[in-house]
Amino acid sequence: MTASDGYVLLALVLIPIGTSVLLMFTPSKERGAVIGITGLSSLAMFVLSVYAFAMYDFEGEQFQGMLTIPWVSNVGLLGEKGIQLKLGLDGMAATLVLLTGIITMAGTWVSWKLTHRMKDYFILLYLVAGGVYGTWVMLDVFFFFLLYETAVLPMYLLIGVWGSTRKEYGATKLMMMLVGASILIFVGIFGAFSAAGLGTFDMEELFRAGETGLIPRNTQILLFPMVAVGCGTLAGMWPFHSWSPDGHASAPTSVSMLHAGVLMKSGAWGVIRLGFQMLPQGAEYWAPALMVIGITAALYGAISALRQTDLKLMTGFSSVSHMGYVFVGLGTLNVIGMSGAVLQMFAHGVMTALFFLLIGGMYDQSHNREIPNFSGMAKQMPIWTIFFVIAGLASLGLPGMSGFIAEVHIFIGVFRAYPVVGGLAVLTAAITATYLLRMFSQAFFGEFNPRWSHLREINYRERAGATVLAITILTMGIWPAPWIDRVANAVAQTIPGVSM
Amino acid sequence: MTMEQVWLLPAIPAGVFVILSLFNRVLPRRGDFVAVLGMGTVVVLAVLAIADFQGAFHDGHFAPAPGANTYEFTWVNIGDGVLRIMFSTYFDAITAVMVFVVSFVALMVFLFSIGYMHGEERYGWYFAVLSLFAGAMLLLVTTNSLIFLYLAWEGVGLTSYLLIGFYWERQSAAEAAKKAFITTRVGDVGFLIGIILLWRVAGTFDIQELIHLAEEGAFSETYLTVSMIFLFMGAVGKSAQFPLHVWLPDAMEGPTPVSALIHAATMVVAGVYLVARTLPIFDLVPIAQNFVLYTGLFTAVMAATQGLVANDIKRVLAYSTVSQLGFMFVALGLGSVTAAMFHLLTHAFFKSLLFLGSGSVIHATHQQEVEHLGGLWRKLPITTVTFSIGSLALAGIVPFAGFWSKDEILLEAFELNPFAYAVLAGTAALTALYTTRVVLLTFAGRPRDQHAYDHAHESGPIMLLPLVLLATLALGSGFVAFDGVGRALGFVGGIGQVVTSHGEPHSFAFHPNIAVPATVLALLAIGAGFEYWGGNAIRAERARQWAPELHALLVNRYYMDNLYQAFIDRVVLGLAGIVARFEKSVVNESGVDGGAQTLNWMGFRLKFLQTGRIPNYALGMALGVLVLSIFALGGGE
Repeated sequence: MTASDGYVLLALVLIPIGTSVLLMFTPSKERGAVIGITGLSSLAMFVLSVYAFAMYDFEGEQFQGMLTIPWVSNVGLLGEKGIQLKLGLDGMAATLVLLTGIITMAGTWVSWKLTHRMKDYFILLYLVAGGVYGTWVMLDVFFFFLLYETAVLPMYLLIGVWGSTRKEYGATKLMMMLVGASILIFVGIFGAFSAAGLGTFDMEELFRAGETGLIPRNTQILLFPMVAVGCGTLAGMWPFHSWSPDGHASAPTSVSMLHAGVLMKSGAWGVIRLGFQMLPQGAEYWAPALMVIGITAALYGAISALRQTDLKLMTGFSSVSHMGYVFVGLGTLNVIGMSGAVLQMFAHGVMTALFFLLIGGMYDQSHNREIPNFSGMAKQMPIWTIFFVIAGLASLGLPGMSGFIAEVHIFIGVFRAYPVVGGLAVLTAAITATYLLRMFSQAFFGEFNPRWSHLREINYRERAGATVLAITILTMGIWPAPWIDRVANAVAQTIPGVSM
Repeated sequence: MTMEQVWLLPAIPAGVFVILSLFNRVLPRRGDFVAVLGMGTVVVLAVLAIADFQGAFHDGHFAPAPGANTYEFTWVNIGDGVLRIMFSTYFDAITAVMVFVVSFVALMVFLFSIGYMHGEERYGWYFAVLSLFAGAMLLLVTTNSLIFLYLAWEGVGLTSYLLIGFYWERQSAAEAAKKAFITTRVGDVGFLIGIILLWRVAGTFDIQELIHLAEEGAFSETYLTVSMIFLFMGAVGKSAQFPLHVWLPDAMEGPTPVSALIHAATMVVAGVYLVARTLPIFDLVPIAQNFVLYTGLFTAVMAATQGLVANDIKRVLAYSTVSQLGFMFVALGLGSVTAAMFHLLTHAFFKSLLFLGSGSVIHATHQQEVEHLGGLWRKLPITTVTFSIGSLALAGIVPFAGFWSKDEILLEAFELNPFAYAVLAGTAALTALYTTRVVLLTFAGRPRDQHAYDHAHESGPIMLLPLVLLATLALGSGFVAFDGVGRALGFVGGIGQVVTSHGEPHSFAFHPNIAVPATVLALLAIGAGFEYWGGNAIRAERARQWAPELHALLVNRYYMDNLYQAFIDRVVLGLAGIVARFEKSVVNESGVDGGAQTLNWMGFRLKFLQTGRIPNYALGMALGVLVLSIFALGGGE
């Protein structure tokens, strides 16, 4: 990437936010205009995301496409650098940028069938997208946190207004837990800022302060749990996960996609950026605890999913389980396991977005998500079933799919550090197979239940979105090197204290 | 085609899968010819690769060693070698046997399927998945990287799942598919753990390098034992050995040609292949090797007894497959790759012949319960003859193929482990007995279901051709034991000269003291079979009434399926229920909602302080002043 590519990164943040603003001035009645604007905007984001991912040179410098615009300096506690609008991309962020581009585009396509206040929906949805892009590319803690919150807050309205089944409860619970968690992040950030005493929110400066011990070790040990729990809550970290199944169950389709697919990842990203990179000595101290929490979440989520009858709740608990793997991977503190964690963020994002896309495509027609109510759906909706099976196979870690690539790195990393935890992690993959295949044989196969003969195959926009996601799953599963090269180099070079 | 291009073998069927799965609806004949042509090409290329291999072997250029990969590239590389996963292919005698078996039987099954699956709604999809299976299976036997072996291993598991559940409208088929996948997945947990444990010390996934390192003593013995037992768990699941054998009989829900290819000749021998491939490591850890031996021995007997009472013709064959796989594991447990691979070879031919023969019967009568068959030799002469040839091979009668390979295993057992020899000889007699039973009930006697009998007619040539070709091999493939036959085929000698155990070639010799008793025993068992099932129905009924409790025990598969079902229902789902209740009452109702309600309650209580009456506020202020002044005065002292 060249220096001018910094403007590409800036565009990735400004395009969705600009689209939101533009939509505010578009008349609600002009559905065609709304569709046109969002279509073009999501396509532009997708193209720029692919560009950023492809042009990132994993053998070059770690932060590429740097762009620094001074914002506030020499005021009060702030020193020369103060607050800057500072953007840059590393290999992990490049992967997550790609993820966001893919899911935003697919999510946009499937939302065009909304009939209730579509324009307002997109205004909020694109604020989420802009906020998430910001968390990937911002190298200033102030802007990082600002955009992080920008991504979280619209969820309240998106679920509360456009949701289903207990949407008020789901929206309130989600918002209370996430805002509560944000207070912890806030404390963590300002604690680190004042302990470093550099008078700047510049991430690179703070990372260096954390590595060299300018932020004292004891302070890091004190602050890391705040950041980890604060950001971890958004990532569905057990036992602060309970907003996630309820929130997903009540959210509309593309909100679930963006939320589980991308926004939850920015929680885990916060743990990496603010935890592992800014407070490395604290992270080292707490890594075993993180791993215990992660493996508990993986098993707990998988076992809970066995008993769920609601498709979305099952997927929600499956997310808790899969995000547990992320924390297991991070807790290994070696390059293989931590790379696996970031790969899992990508892989889980794509597969879970596909799950929610498909559940939504069916629920919009049937208004029913209870697995026992369905039978033999492969007869009525074969294409839908094929996509669902692909997502399911990725989820249970079948080799040749993205999920396996991520999981096998996590397993190998964990076996290096703690073999017993590794054994439990592999076992979890078998439990995942059990709940998914039980669901398959109950809902998709067997004699067709004629109650559902009015259901139609998912529409062309949903098929297009599902195809993009499925191709991503298979590409990463068969040729994972582009992802692994970017992620592994970034992990090895930008996270202090990582063993090889 | 040389050994260097052996990666083409899996690539061709995989490409066929892509073409057929996307375009089968627009291609003429749903694209079945693409699949057959692809598989035909693979057979030709496989033969060329084997010719190339035996040329090198003949000239002495071939040495199994680390770095002998015929083709490799880097798939994943982290930290410049900290984690390096290579795609690699490897070709030795074991590969040669497997490649020939897989591609040849696959081609036979593809041809047979054209007739058998004709008119099916998902005809194109069937051939697509079958091609994917062939691709995955060929990758499994040609790769030298444990990670790619695992990838192919799960790939054949997936296609097996899809094909067992091919008639997914039947709930029983959907359940059987699920059972197969989950049961083998349990074994795969161990397999993956074993792979990673080996990597953890050796830092490589390359099988030949691992063997080399193990022989050099890179592992401690305990560590290696544990790793290899974990690795063997995968083989137990895939090759349907006790205690993970329960899925294979149910897998007969799939179309019969699928049972012939996947659940008899190829996929289920993947476990045997895995152990044969890694046998030099097993040799170093006797505990793990004995584990293999006794698992196989127990399974061989157990499955043979279940085969005695099963009524579904395909289930009898399934139990016999489980039992014969047990024979192969016994051979491996005794350290003989030669005997195991030889039996694998002959078994693949005669067992796929038997399955295709049963397919021919089912195709003709739409019946697969032997209770409803009988007297079919008049209607299906060619099927009867070929099926009988397969049965004689399975029963181990001279000079059919199964005799020679079973003899090899018995010989090994006789020399190394007399107990295993005694058990295997008894099992061989049981094998002859249940085989006789199924042949007699199906083809001899009077038709028990007149309607099915009346409509029966011999299958068309596209189905008979594979039967005849496989029958020829079931008759003749055992002779490759002899050096003269091997040399006539262009090899250095018999199978013992090419597929070696411990790197030592050995020449086949006829041992009358093993062969004669075994043959006599088998003939006696066949006689007993004729005695009970050759005559009228009363005799057969008497056989059943001989020991009703035992019969019930066998029919109910030793109650193992019930036990597993109870375990899943009570223990696993019970645990899930506990977790779900914890989630609901502790995490949600107490933790999250409870926290919110506590705040709400506090607000409710505290709001009474806000009374709106001036005297109350004035009292509060006065008390505040009082407290503060006490502090102030106290601080002053």
